[in-house]
Amino acid sequence: MPRETFDRELQRLQDELLILGSMVESAIAESVDALKRRDFEASQRIIAQDRDINTRRFAIESDVLVLIATQQPMASDLRTLAAILDLASELERMGDYAKGIARINLMIGDQPLMKPLIDIPRMAERACSMLHRALDAFARRDVALARAIPAEDDEVDALYNQVYRELVTYILSDPKNIDQANYLLWAAHNLERAADRVTNICERVIFTVTGELGELNREGNGLEDLPG
Amino acid sequence: MNETKIRVEHLNFYYGNKIALSDISMVIPDRQITALIGPSGCGKSTFLRCLNRMNDTIPRTRVEGKVLLDGVDIYAPGTDVVELRRRVGMVFQRPNPFPQSVYDNVAFGPRVLGLHRQQNLDEIVERSLRDVGLWDEVKDNLRQNALNLSLGQQQRLCLARVIAVQPEVILMDEPCSALDPIATLEIEELMRSLRQNYCIVIVTHNMQQAARVSEWTGFFWLGELVEFGPTEVIFTHPAHQLTEDYITGRAG
Repeated sequence: MPRETFDRELQRLQDELLILGSMVESAIAESVDALKRRDFEASQRIIAQDRDINTRRFAIESDVLVLIATQQPMASDLRTLAAILDLASELERMGDYAKGIARINLMIGDQPLMKPLIDIPRMAERACSMLHRALDAFARRDVALARAIPAEDDEVDALYNQVYRELVTYILSDPKNIDQANYLLWAAHNLERAADRVTNICERVIFTVTGELGELNREGNGLEDLPG
Repeated sequence: MNETKIRVEHLNFYYGNKIALSDISMVIPDRQITALIGPSGCGKSTFLRCLNRMNDTIPRTRVEGKVLLDGVDIYAPGTDVVELRRRVGMVFQRPNPFPQSVYDNVAFGPRVLGLHRQQNLDEIVERSLRDVGLWDEVKDNLRQNALNLSLGQQQRLCLARVIAVQPEVILMDEPCSALDPIATLEIEELMRSLRQNYCIVIVTHNMQQAARVSEWTGFFWLGELVEFGPTEVIFTHPAHQLTEDYITGRAG
């Protein structure tokens, strides 16, 4: 093969991206698990690990730019590198959502949870599963899978709406619940946003393979602009 | 796509019995740059030379099909080949100025064609040198030997020599391959300004150059035109796997 060095480097960057993806996936799952178990140490660990995620994202970005500058990639190689840049940034933001949830656990402090967490862990599970398969679709260049995953975002949105309604009833029943309900809503919102970002990843997978740029499943639930 | 300047229909070209171009059909637009890419021996230079019948000078060659310039077949009997080559000028890989003064190089074509009888020769020379951005560099010494110029300047002089006879199409066969990077970028900038007035067709091995300068790109492989389309499509998502493999450096 005339481009062995380039191919090796391109493969290495994809591997790095997948490692970043699995770190983010774990961070999301563990952040919700720590919240559920009220495990402050685990939350602090997740906050610390977010720095690694950020460092890796910048390393990937820097290596992609070097590869573009030195190897002048074209066509699918260029699209792959553009996608890696974009995916690294999406993943890093998803890592921030996990860190946000870890912080929420610390902010809730010693108060017992007003209710056992059921739907929020379900949201995390759905979001992580979507992320896992989206990265799998990227690694295998599986356009059909990338097109199928965003529909699952509706389930995450439905869970989010359910959490929202439930927390509102808690607030209405006792205003003392406002602070904690707000924190939990924030956590749920982060998960809802994380799932949205999986849709962005799927769009990039399709772009990488076909060169088509387009939006998938953008109806949303109308709550995307809440602060989070 | 702009108005069509050249329409090639089912062009075959033979060196003796060997077919070098097979069933090429292509539409080349006016006032835009069309780049032809492909590995060595793929036929892209042969194709370029078909566009002003430069291959006629090679013995035992044969052409089939049509090359229509403004709708008229240049291979039709009775074509004035000298007039054709005035309308369709050519710049080569290595700058090839005549061993004469800068002025005489540019004035050569107009003198041979008798253009100087209708227009002021000094004005033609100045306008041509200005068009290629060489005037300010040589105006104080137009009598100096052209071979004293740098290679980049020589190539721009060759372009001025083509422009002096007021062509409609400029063919460029690897015009920058003998030039350093700065001189290369100067020629590329020049091409982009010249395309406002001319139909330009460039053959290049340098894919980045094709991507930088052209609006249209054709990819040749083993004497066939594999793909022709807008440059940004060819270099970001080509339709054919062979094009993809070539431009990503995995074939050729």
